[in-house]
Amino acid sequence: MNIHDDMSQDDVLAAAATCLSALPVAGPPAVEAIMVRGRARRRRTVTGLGLAGTVGVTALALGLAGVFGGHSPAHAGTTIRTAAFTLTHNANGTDTLTISPLVLVKPATLQNDLAQYGIQAMVHTGSFCSSNPAPDWSQVMSFWPQGYGPVRNPTITINPSAMPASTELSFGYFQLPVGQETALALINTNSYTCTSTAPTAPPAGGGLFRRS
Amino acid sequence: MSNERAEFTEFFQASWQPCLRAVVAVVGSQQLAEDQVAEAFARAWASWRKVSRHPAPRAWVVRTALNTGASWWRRRNRELPLAGHDLPDAPSGGGVDVALLAALWRLPGRQREVIALRIFLDLDTGTIAQQLGIEAGTVRMHLSRGVAALRRELTLINTSEAQQ
Repeated sequence: MNIHDDMSQDDVLAAAATCLSALPVAGPPAVEAIMVRGRARRRRTVTGLGLAGTVGVTALALGLAGVFGGHSPAHAGTTIRTAAFTLTHNANGTDTLTISPLVLVKPATLQNDLAQYGIQAMVHTGSFCSSNPAPDWSQVMSFWPQGYGPVRNPTITINPSAMPASTELSFGYFQLPVGQETALALINTNSYTCTSTAPTAPPAGGGLFRRS
Repeated sequence: MSNERAEFTEFFQASWQPCLRAVVAVVGSQQLAEDQVAEAFARAWASWRKVSRHPAPRAWVVRTALNTGASWWRRRNRELPLAGHDLPDAPSGGGVDVALLAALWRLPGRQREVIALRIFLDLDTGTIAQQLGIEAGTVRMHLSRGVAALRRELTLINTSEAQQ
C-alpha cells in the first residue's frame, strides 16, 4: 500500500501545482511594451479592414510601404512605427524597441530613428561590432524575453540617459538559413571590433535574439 | 481612456504570473510561453473593451496564448513542442519535482490544458468547458485521466524513494 494510492484528485492537483509553481518564471515585461504591441495589432486590423474595402492608390501605397519595411506615415505621439520595428518613448525617459519577426530592419532607418530619441547606435546588416571588455550595460538596457531562443517580438528597453560617455549601441542583423538573428551590445566607441560571423551566444554586454 | 489603461495595467500586473505558469504547464517551454502570453496580453489590450467584460479574462488570455502558439507553429510547418516524444529540458533543484514535471508534460495536450486551467486559474469545470469549447463531461474525463496518470507517477516516485 502506497500513500499515493489514497490521494484524492485535489491532492494530486495540489502536488502538480506545487511542482509547477517551483518553476522559475520571468516577471512581466513593461506594460507599455504590451500596449504598444496591442495598438499595433489594432492598427493592423483596422488597416486590413480598410484594404479589404478600398481598392485605390492610397491603399496600395500603404501596403507597399509595409512590404518593403519602409517608414509608416503614421507617427502616433511618441511612437515611431515601421514594418520592421516599433520604437516608443516611455514616460519614464526610457525607450522601448520591439522588433518585428518577418521584416528585415533597414539599418539606416533604425539608426536615424534611434538618434531622434537621443540613442547613439550603429546598425549593420551582416556584421556586428562589440567591445572587449564591454562597458557596463546593466543600467542601459534590458531585454525581454531573456535568454537565447526562438522569439517573435523581442523587446529591448533602453535608457539613453544611463549610457556612459564614449559608448553607443551596436546592432547586427543576420539572415540565417532559417530565420533571422539580431545581436545587440553596448560598445566603447574608442575600442571595438566587428565580425561578419553571426554570433552563436549572447555577446558580452548585450543580447542575442533569434527569430524563425 | 486613462481609466482603461489603469484597469488594464492592474489586470496585467496581477495576471501575468498565473497566466504564464498555466501556459508553461501546457507548452513546456518557458521562452515560448513568455512570448505567447505577451502576445495574448497585447491582443487583450487591443480588444480591452471586450476582454474586460469577459467572464474569465485570465482564461481568455491563456486560451489566446495557446491558440497563438499553435497557429504560429503550424504556420512554420513545425510540430508543437510537445507533440512528439521530445520533452523539454526540465530544470532541476529549487523544489522542482523533475519526474512529476516530465509526467505532466507527457500528458496529452488537452489534459494538460484542463489541469493548467484548474490549477492556476482556479476555474470550475463549466468555465473550463466554455473556454475550451468542449462539454463539461469531456473536461471531467480529461481531468480524471490526467490526474490518474499523475497519481501513478507520484506512486512510482514514492516507491523509488522508499527503495533507496
